[in-house]
Amino acid sequence: MDAILNQVPIGIAIGAVLLLAALGLNFTFGQMGVINMAHGEFMMVGAYTAFVTHAWFDLNPDYALLLAVPAAFALTGLLGLALEAGVIRHFYGRPLDTLLLTFGVGLVLQQIARDVFGAPNVDVPAPAWLAGGVDVLGIRLHHARLFILALAVLCVVAIAYYLNRSRPGRQMRAVLHNRDLAAITGIPTRRVDATTFFLGSGLAGIAGVALTLIGPTGPTLGHNYIVDAFLVVVVGGLGQLRGTILAALALGLLNAFSEFWTDASLAKVIVFVAIIGFLQARPQGMFTVRSRALT
Amino acid sequence: MLSVRGLDAGYGRAQVLFGVDLDVADDSVVCVMGRNGVGKSTLLNTVTGLITPMAGQVVFDGHDITRRPAHARVRAGIGYVPQGHESFAPLTVAENLNVAWEAAGRGPRTLIDDALELFPRLVPLLGRNAGVLSGGQAQQLAIARALVSNPRLLILDEPTEGIQPSIVAEIEEAIATLHDRGIAVLLVEQYLDVALRLAHTVTVLDAGAVVHSAAREELSEERVRALLAI
Repeated sequence: MDAILNQVPIGIAIGAVLLLAALGLNFTFGQMGVINMAHGEFMMVGAYTAFVTHAWFDLNPDYALLLAVPAAFALTGLLGLALEAGVIRHFYGRPLDTLLLTFGVGLVLQQIARDVFGAPNVDVPAPAWLAGGVDVLGIRLHHARLFILALAVLCVVAIAYYLNRSRPGRQMRAVLHNRDLAAITGIPTRRVDATTFFLGSGLAGIAGVALTLIGPTGPTLGHNYIVDAFLVVVVGGLGQLRGTILAALALGLLNAFSEFWTDASLAKVIVFVAIIGFLQARPQGMFTVRSRALT
Repeated sequence: MLSVRGLDAGYGRAQVLFGVDLDVADDSVVCVMGRNGVGKSTLLNTVTGLITPMAGQVVFDGHDITRRPAHARVRAGIGYVPQGHESFAPLTVAENLNVAWEAAGRGPRTLIDDALELFPRLVPLLGRNAGVLSGGQAQQLAIARALVSNPRLLILDEPTEGIQPSIVAEIEEAIATLHDRGIAVLLVEQYLDVALRLAHTVTVLDAGAVVHSAAREELSEERVRALLAI
């Protein structure tokens, strides 16, 4: 029984990482219709940022991680900005072309990681203060997983504040809903797109840093999460914060439990079957905007 | 104020407008009429920057704005209420007004109060999501949203289409009030009686070209009716 209950914090930690990855995807996919296949590689870049803080800059692991979070956010955010301005901007309205292009960019980033850091996984030491954990009702809560959860909660609160209370957030929601209407309302849609890409990519970087605490750090790290992150977006509903949170948690828990009872491949099958079943019943995702419009 | 010269425009390779000329003088109301599919909305979309023309010129206040992006034209003083009374459905009514007011460069805050004074029906709805408004309320919100950007030219595409008669009267009244306040109006309208009540000049499009244009006093009503008949 304890072993089963112990899957809960594992599932929540995976869900929290998925949430960070999916939030960024939801923005870029929902607002611009861009399927950014390099999003997973942005997570990888974030993870290597955490590695670099102690391996190259020789920072004390105790606070290197805290430094890596904003550094990864800024670095992957800028990378996203460059990708948007250099590649994606020229292919708006051509989703299949952007999908292929960003897939290629992802492969390039993977190869760069191999060239710089080597093909084998690297070791990112966790801070001493994240070792150990607390027992609550017989469930072992590792500090590292609690930290990931706290990081995700912090990011969600920041994003919710940004979207609902700030001027650029309102503009982002307006562009997300109707690009043309936003333009004739006076909103500089291209600039909003760039900001969105920066934020979305930056969140992927933070997700990458979190991943170093629960999994191996290697050049293909992003690949393992990109599909799940897209599933979260589809199940949660486009442009929906609530849906993304619930879907990420559900998918994380489903992953953890099915992996516990079966193996990794069968777990994936179970997850996919569950999602196919869900989308049959609710093709629009968990939440949608309430509107009198028929579409 | 607005001068359109030799405008060719369309979608992809499908050309819709052929050499359209149109003028909106300061302090005037111009009504563009025509049957469905003759290019009225295409003309407005080109003037507001949603469509880049194939040829021709759009001049506003003496500045060539043909290649300016849509959002820059709002800042320059062109307010647009497109067809279909659309709003940002996930945003509240208040947010809809706010986002427009902020985007246009934050004119005086009283712009929002003025717009609400013009459409008092919106006041109790400020906290509601715009997606749940009725057609008439949504149209009033759409006009209010254009007004908070402090336009000198207001462009409306069939503002009374599909809206209950009592609110049609309110909208018509609002347009007249705005004109009295010195805002020039460019209007697409299907109903001749509405056009004749509001407009100083009526321009009729057919097959993407101007076929008739006259001041209200010199307008041949029969000719316009013939052009609008199906």
